[in-house]
Amino acid sequence: MMRAQSTPVRRYAATGSLAMLWALPVILTLAYVLPFAGVTLWSVTRPELGLQNYVRIFTGADFQAIFFRTAWVCLVSTAITIPIAYLLAYYWVMGSGRRSRLVEICIFIPFWISVLVRAFGWVVILRNNGLASDVANAFGLGGLSTGRNVWSVITGMVHFMVPFAVLPMASVMRKIDRRVLLAALGLGCRPLGVFWRIYLPMSLPGVFSALAMTFIFSLGFFVTPMILGGGRVVLTAETVFVQMFQTANWGLGAALGVVLLVAVFAILWLSQRVMRIEQLMSR
Amino acid sequence: MNNDLKTECLELLKDSHLAGRIDRRTFLTGLVLLGVAPHLGPRSARAADGQLVVTNWGGDAVGAFETALTGSYAEQQGIAVKIDGSGPTKGAMKAQFESGAVSWDVCDADPGATKSLGEAGMIEPIDYKVVDREKVQAGFAYEYSVANYFLSYVIAYDAKQFGDNPPKSWADFWNVEKYPGKRSLYKWMSGCMEAALLADGVPMDQLYPLDEERAIRKLNEIKPHIVSFWDSGAESQQLMRDGEASMALMWHTRANLVEKDTGGAVSWTYAQGVLAPSGWAVIKGNPAGSARAMDFIRYCQDPARQVDLLRTLGCGPTNPLAHDLVPAELKRLDCSSAENMSQQVLMDMDWYSARGDQALEKYLAMTAS
Repeated sequence: MMRAQSTPVRRYAATGSLAMLWALPVILTLAYVLPFAGVTLWSVTRPELGLQNYVRIFTGADFQAIFFRTAWVCLVSTAITIPIAYLLAYYWVMGSGRRSRLVEICIFIPFWISVLVRAFGWVVILRNNGLASDVANAFGLGGLSTGRNVWSVITGMVHFMVPFAVLPMASVMRKIDRRVLLAALGLGCRPLGVFWRIYLPMSLPGVFSALAMTFIFSLGFFVTPMILGGGRVVLTAETVFVQMFQTANWGLGAALGVVLLVAVFAILWLSQRVMRIEQLMSR
Repeated sequence: MNNDLKTECLELLKDSHLAGRIDRRTFLTGLVLLGVAPHLGPRSARAADGQLVVTNWGGDAVGAFETALTGSYAEQQGIAVKIDGSGPTKGAMKAQFESGAVSWDVCDADPGATKSLGEAGMIEPIDYKVVDREKVQAGFAYEYSVANYFLSYVIAYDAKQFGDNPPKSWADFWNVEKYPGKRSLYKWMSGCMEAALLADGVPMDQLYPLDEERAIRKLNEIKPHIVSFWDSGAESQQLMRDGEASMALMWHTRANLVEKDTGGAVSWTYAQGVLAPSGWAVIKGNPAGSARAMDFIRYCQDPARQVDLLRTLGCGPTNPLAHDLVPAELKRLDCSSAENMSQQVLMDMDWYSARGDQALEKYLAMTAS
């Protein structure tokens, strides 16, 4: 073995890098794979051996309603997040110095504020008799219920996710060679055409990864729906919480967790495929 | 379920202290009562030799426990008493037992949840040779827990709007024509099924076992008028204080605070309130041993200490002898006194133990649909 010929320094380097190489898989196994295996085991052994928890989840009207609501809320908030984030990313990357800096601040400040604080902030704004309903009243839209429903939850979620969606899009936009845009303009393409036929397609990989990230993120939302939903917007993550802590029905909670994770992997796999197709198309 | 009660108690205590309604000494006594003072945060404590870990729901209840209960016990017994405010939910207690490394000695837990866990062999039965059955309100000395304080689910209402003719029943709560405005109920069901059935005309003495389907039907009637199913006591206070709701089902401790905060613009009544106990419980294999835990429970039965807890947290005594010691200004807050109790329904924790989980799922399906 190479240990025999190594000088002490080389031996240190070799064991050091070996340790580094092994550290991640070991940590992942201990901190993630094993506990997850335990969770999966729970889902088929508690309260007794069998698939009854999964049967319950996929046949119970209550759980179907929760999954359906979760999917709907996630789709809508993703659909709102992406265009907003695209505009912000575009402005951040293409805008001139000061304006770009301003957008940067607007992106990062909320990014650093705790999700809890932001949710309560929205409560103050959206609650009945709050700022939003005062504004609505001022515009003659009295009686408009602004707070504690599915739309306040979506508002809170979008606000949380926009920065996360901006980052992958901006990093792709940054790599777009501006000479290509210049060339298109030089060849007589109109500015809108340049965006539509050159910039947008070239930035699409960023859009796709933002899409996948936003949707996956939104699947796990817990605090925001709990605070802004007025107790009526119960999504999958909170259902897991109920099964784990309120009813101590761990098998069912574990099965819900497994289903959620499988959904996440399915979306990741799908987005990888879409991106590959997109790359093939653009060639 | 009412696992948030203690957090509530603690928050109440803190609020009271910050608002200057109770002095620092009382505040600390309250902290002791709720078993919180040794750490002023929801850190996890691990019991060792000469140490007792009391677990409650954190927040102000930590200080209240320390002031009323654990501080003097620690001094008297020459041991350290720690208060862990992380919340003995049913799931957390089950996790403690199953991990084989129990770190909590005495839990301030929900008697219904405790009973289910006890029947599964996870909870030490209360030793009534040590703990005095006579010092517990009749019917609240259970096999696996013993009531340590009472809290009531009451009707809080906008007194500016309804002061002349305040609501006197859950039927009034459901009557949005006579009492216009939004409503709020508890997200975790406790008390709400009872309220619905009482509103639907079920006599107070024939509530249990609860007719779940009938309750859900009645709840669906009021649902369009619900502004929020509140999750924390603080949220229930905010809803009433800001006038988002004109009536709410609230814990009487919280209702009392809103009433003070608003100078009486919000008031509350015990009429048809649902009086619920919390209970001391000991997980099997607790580190300090069950004898020590039972001794602490016995210690907390002292009437004066229970009045201290009423003063700091607003929670009603479970020892019938304590009520005579309650000073006049606290009489209204004393939810378990004979006079106040006569207006209320006693929550049947056996029903919660047997049906609570399934009923909660039905209830959550109702709130979320």
